[in-house]
Amino acid sequence: MEIALRVESVFKKFGDKVAVNNVSFEVKRGETYSLLGPNGAGKTTLMSMIAGIVEPTKGKIEVLGGDPRERRIRAMIGYCPQEPVVYDELTGFENMMFYAGLYGLSGQEARSRCKELLELVGLMEYSKKMVRTYSGGMKKRLSFAIALIGNPALLMLDEPTTGMDPRVRRLVWELIEKLKEEGKTIILATHYMEEADVLSDRVAIMDSGRKIVEGTPEELKRKYGPKAVINIELAEPKLEVVEIIKQYASERRVVFDGNVLRVHVDDPDEVTPKVISELIRHGCKLNTLRISRPTLEDVFLKLTGRRLIE
Amino acid sequence: MIRWSAVKAFIVRDLLEVFRSKEVMFWMIAWPIFWVLLSAYVFVPPSTEQPMTLSVGVINYDVGSSSPMSGERFIEILNTTKYKDVKLFKVKIYENETKMIEDIRKGRLDGGFVIPKNFGEDIIIGQAKLRVYIGVRDIRSAQIIGAILRGFVEGMNKAISIRKIEETLKYVPENISEFIRSWGLGIAMPINATFIEVKPKVFISRATIVGWFTIGALGMSMLYSGLSIGSLMVVGEKDRGTLKRLLASPMTSTEMLLGKTLAGLIMLAIMSLLVIIAGYTLCGARIVWNPTKLEHWLVPLLLMVAALITIGLGSLLSLLARSVRGASALSTVLGLMLSFFAGIWFPKWMMPTWMRIFADVFPATWAIDAIREIMVYEAEVGEIIHKVIGSIIAAIIAYGSGIIAYRYLLRKYAEV
Repeated sequence: MEIALRVESVFKKFGDKVAVNNVSFEVKRGETYSLLGPNGAGKTTLMSMIAGIVEPTKGKIEVLGGDPRERRIRAMIGYCPQEPVVYDELTGFENMMFYAGLYGLSGQEARSRCKELLELVGLMEYSKKMVRTYSGGMKKRLSFAIALIGNPALLMLDEPTTGMDPRVRRLVWELIEKLKEEGKTIILATHYMEEADVLSDRVAIMDSGRKIVEGTPEELKRKYGPKAVINIELAEPKLEVVEIIKQYASERRVVFDGNVLRVHVDDPDEVTPKVISELIRHGCKLNTLRISRPTLEDVFLKLTGRRLIE
Repeated sequence: MIRWSAVKAFIVRDLLEVFRSKEVMFWMIAWPIFWVLLSAYVFVPPSTEQPMTLSVGVINYDVGSSSPMSGERFIEILNTTKYKDVKLFKVKIYENETKMIEDIRKGRLDGGFVIPKNFGEDIIIGQAKLRVYIGVRDIRSAQIIGAILRGFVEGMNKAISIRKIEETLKYVPENISEFIRSWGLGIAMPINATFIEVKPKVFISRATIVGWFTIGALGMSMLYSGLSIGSLMVVGEKDRGTLKRLLASPMTSTEMLLGKTLAGLIMLAIMSLLVIIAGYTLCGARIVWNPTKLEHWLVPLLLMVAALITIGLGSLLSLLARSVRGASALSTVLGLMLSFFAGIWFPKWMMPTWMRIFADVFPATWAIDAIREIMVYEAEVGEIIHKVIGSIIAAIIAYGSGIIAYRYLLRKYAEV
């Protein structure tokens, strides 16, 4: 299959700070590839280099067979940065028309394309309102529509659903699924493991400017995750039990998030009863108990010893 | 290759944003018009078009004289003398000299006459004395008041001399009367000068002064707005978080520069037109634009040149600013300083010599001066061509340097 994006030993330094450290990967046409990592992992810098905004200090990036700094290549890239890229003193439609002009569209062609995309992201009825009256989620959706204005072959979405409520997030995911079906190549930078899990064909996990591992979500979970995860919701949080439960966990991995204990285990049938009796013995009241498959969050925890969202 | 759809996109966006921003509209349109109105009606009120009327005090000790040129008759002449249908004197009668001199010192009177006893009698039989006081508020007003009062007394002398000669001739034999008339007039007025008023093409009037200030207000607004447009070109996008998205689009930095510059030029052209219309219609400024004259077509060129100079300087200024607030503050401070130093708003002749040096070498002043000379003083090409060429060269240098700063900032902020 044809390669849409090739990143070869890319290195980026800002002053003394290394933002991206020797990262290489390839993305095939029509594939959805996610860069998963916490804030500061180097995802946005890598996206900026792929979009042709920033030059790598070392290494090479090839997008759709050319240098992303070339105008003809940039015309084939749709980029939706993390922060909304809209002008508050223009209406939604005027914002779209402005970007349409930058992509060489004008007149009726531009107007039809803008209307079509505003319809797609559910903003048509607000298209004549000033963007300053829009909510954060609406501005993000408008930025998403702007990324599609040039009918891009490669769509780059940097944290597309950050700050959105679950309903709007679902809507954006559906949109991305639709674009995948249309055969667009999508690069997604996110720190939401569920987003990467649901949407990606392949995922690269990044931390501190490096790509740690790469593969399909299933491969990563199978290769680096535990066999299962016991999720126990306690009536009240009891931090002291974490150390006791660790003795039953695979590689002593236990995450305590609010009232929920997540225990990595290799043999859930054998370990689950022991964990429950230990918790009861220490006076804990259990609300719910669920045994689940590992997530990419668990993979990240195993590989870095840290959580994606601290 | 330049893609005009991208350039047009920037022009439309910038104009929409400007026309929707009440703050920008106030500073770009309302404020300069307000300045023109203030200047026209506060500094140069409409009454300055009329001849001066002097307030003079008179002490008349020649009361009750039967002479045809008595003290009372002198006061009557003072009260009725007119220049261009305007009374030349406003007369106030005093009883004593001390009070009159006190009022001259306090600036309540421009001057005063003391008519001695037997004034009328003395004129008839010989020579009468008259004491004239001139109020000296400053050198210029002393010159003007002195000239008017001397002129009045000389006029009186001339009229009385002619009358005396005519009366004398009644007693002279006819065969020598012509000789005696010439001889007498020769004694009274050895030089019989004829004064002819010649109106220059443009003379200093309220209309030209208001015209001067109208173009000054235009130049000042161009300074503020041009500096601001130039300084916000990159920083404005950076602060709004849109710069990286723009750089990721297929537009080129040249298209963005062109779009933003053309939008700025359109805004400044609209502002200039409105200021000129306001000066002409609301304040009575002398503004001439005659499309049949070549030099008048230099005005739009010079406006563009002045705008490019200020936009270029603004772009250089943005090297010192990291945010919109910083860039705006810098351009306001620089604009304010330049409005004092550049000789655009404050006339150069009012400045100390050392300050004039800057005004003489500041290229935006050349362009504004040339516009003023064409539109207010109807200068011809030959008189202003050096300023036109100088300001074009300066615009190329200033805008060229601005482009270098613009490209540097684009690279710098893309990496942030």
